[in-house]
Amino acid sequence: MADAHAHDATHEDHDHKPHGWRRWVFATNHKDIGTMYLIFACTMFFVGGAMAMIIRLELFKPGMQFVDPQLFNSMTTMHALVMIFGAVMPAWTGLANWMIPMQVGAPDMALPRLNNFSFWILPFAFTLLLSSLFVPGGAPAGGWTMYPPLVLQNGASFPMLIFAVHMMGASSILGAINVVVTIMNLRAPGMALLRMPLFVWTWLITAYLLIAVMPVLAGAVTMLLTDHFFGTTFFTAAGGGDPVMFQHIFWFFGHPEVYIMILPAFGIVSEIIPTFSRKPLFGYEAMVYAVASIAFLSFIVWAHHMFTVGMPLAAQLFFMLSTMLIAVPTGVKVFNWTATMWKGSLSFEPPMLFALAFLFLFTIGGFSGLMLGIVPADYQYQDTYFVVAHFHYVLVPGAIFGIMAGVYYWLPKWTGKLYDQRLATWHFWLSAVFVNVLFFPQHFLGLAGMPRRIPDYAVQFTDWNMVSSIGGFGFGLAQLLFPYIIWKCVRSGAPAPARAWEGAHGLEWELPSPAPYHSWTEAPSDALIAKGASH
Amino acid sequence: MAAALLSAESQARRRRVRNSAILWALVAGAFYLGFIVLSLVRAAQ
Repeated sequence: MADAHAHDATHEDHDHKPHGWRRWVFATNHKDIGTMYLIFACTMFFVGGAMAMIIRLELFKPGMQFVDPQLFNSMTTMHALVMIFGAVMPAWTGLANWMIPMQVGAPDMALPRLNNFSFWILPFAFTLLLSSLFVPGGAPAGGWTMYPPLVLQNGASFPMLIFAVHMMGASSILGAINVVVTIMNLRAPGMALLRMPLFVWTWLITAYLLIAVMPVLAGAVTMLLTDHFFGTTFFTAAGGGDPVMFQHIFWFFGHPEVYIMILPAFGIVSEIIPTFSRKPLFGYEAMVYAVASIAFLSFIVWAHHMFTVGMPLAAQLFFMLSTMLIAVPTGVKVFNWTATMWKGSLSFEPPMLFALAFLFLFTIGGFSGLMLGIVPADYQYQDTYFVVAHFHYVLVPGAIFGIMAGVYYWLPKWTGKLYDQRLATWHFWLSAVFVNVLFFPQHFLGLAGMPRRIPDYAVQFTDWNMVSSIGGFGFGLAQLLFPYIIWKCVRSGAPAPARAWEGAHGLEWELPSPAPYHSWTEAPSDALIAKGASH
Repeated sequence: MAAALLSAESQARRRRVRNSAILWALVAGAFYLGFIVLSLVRAAQ
């Protein structure tokens, strides 16, 4: 209670609810900023999705149909950048903004103005990046990995790409600092670390990863910039530099980045499965340690992305074995989720459906990752559609389904209204079927030798490409249901109770629905915190 | 007395928030510069 009053005394600046455009432009309320992040992420999801549709349209049959190779390569590059930095990461930050203060009993994020700044960097970054489609030479086309020397051959879009990546990185770092500082300093008295919901834990660890690796990406692209404009030769062989060094630095960022996109989904699934199993989470502490272990291991596996560049046998063995090791904590999580459901009173509302699909399909992505981690096998799979299938199984039914599960879980809390569960169930089944039609055949294409990042292919790959494209169009169309369901919920949903799901635990469910503009202005009592803990 | 205590507590928390934000910003800055310096050292070798 004392803490809550103290907070009021120090945050008079956002103690009232502003109206009109000022509410959003000058937003300091964590719920408003969370909403803006989520709307931005949803918009970028459809922009990146439109690019994916162009890719699948071109690949529907062999030969060049709709776009030239340069534009095709721009589409693959921009699709990745937009989906990773524009859709998935901002969606997680939006969910963090909405839920972390409510879940730890804090009145807001610790640094509200910084929070505003972190968000508003993003629209500028993506305007810059997307406007590169219209400059001479076209948008970046060398892949999202920005490998030199190819990336240095970009035209006018090169500095736009580098500046946009810097801005996205700065936004992520500032957002991560805010999350760490909020969790470490603004938890309600009695909210011990090992009482925190798993979503908060996974985000805390994600935030540490972000602080460690986003500056590494920024460093790498700064060096690209100086190589291009200031005559340095960090990555230029002609001047004594080493292009492979860029790959090492990039993947030192890139592999933890994969976990940045997936760990919060682990947290959400760990909230949803107990709720719809009506059982406490099995092995809460093991889950926390498993997430921490995965995060630690993510720093020592980066070179499995580049086995074929040539490296000593000892290094190959080290990175292969460390990659295999990640299966251990991941297995702990999968078995604990399964054990949570064991003999539970299960029901299959939309959040649970998405969480279960996550469990099955992310595991498929994990298994193909293990296959790719085996050095001699990787020499066969490298740069084929098998890799494309693998990481899309991790990121679409993994990260994207995790985000959708989270939105469907907390939407009644945010809006105070119930959504159309029948339509959301349709959204789930269409997504779950088409995501497999889209990506599963890509395993076959990869094993048969179809290279990735090409606009044309040999005729023997035609059939599975057609199937994959049909899956892509179906998946893309199914996603239009998502904003419609949310819009319908906001406009005409029936009122939601405070505890929208009968089996839900956690401080957020102790607040009324919709959550008040300023929640936990008085810190929750210890009894309430104990009641909210589902473990 | 209570108000003064609250104020002191609030002050202490503001200080904690500011210090930890600065600390993590410095950590991020160190990773940024560290990797550039690492590359320079390697290039010099």
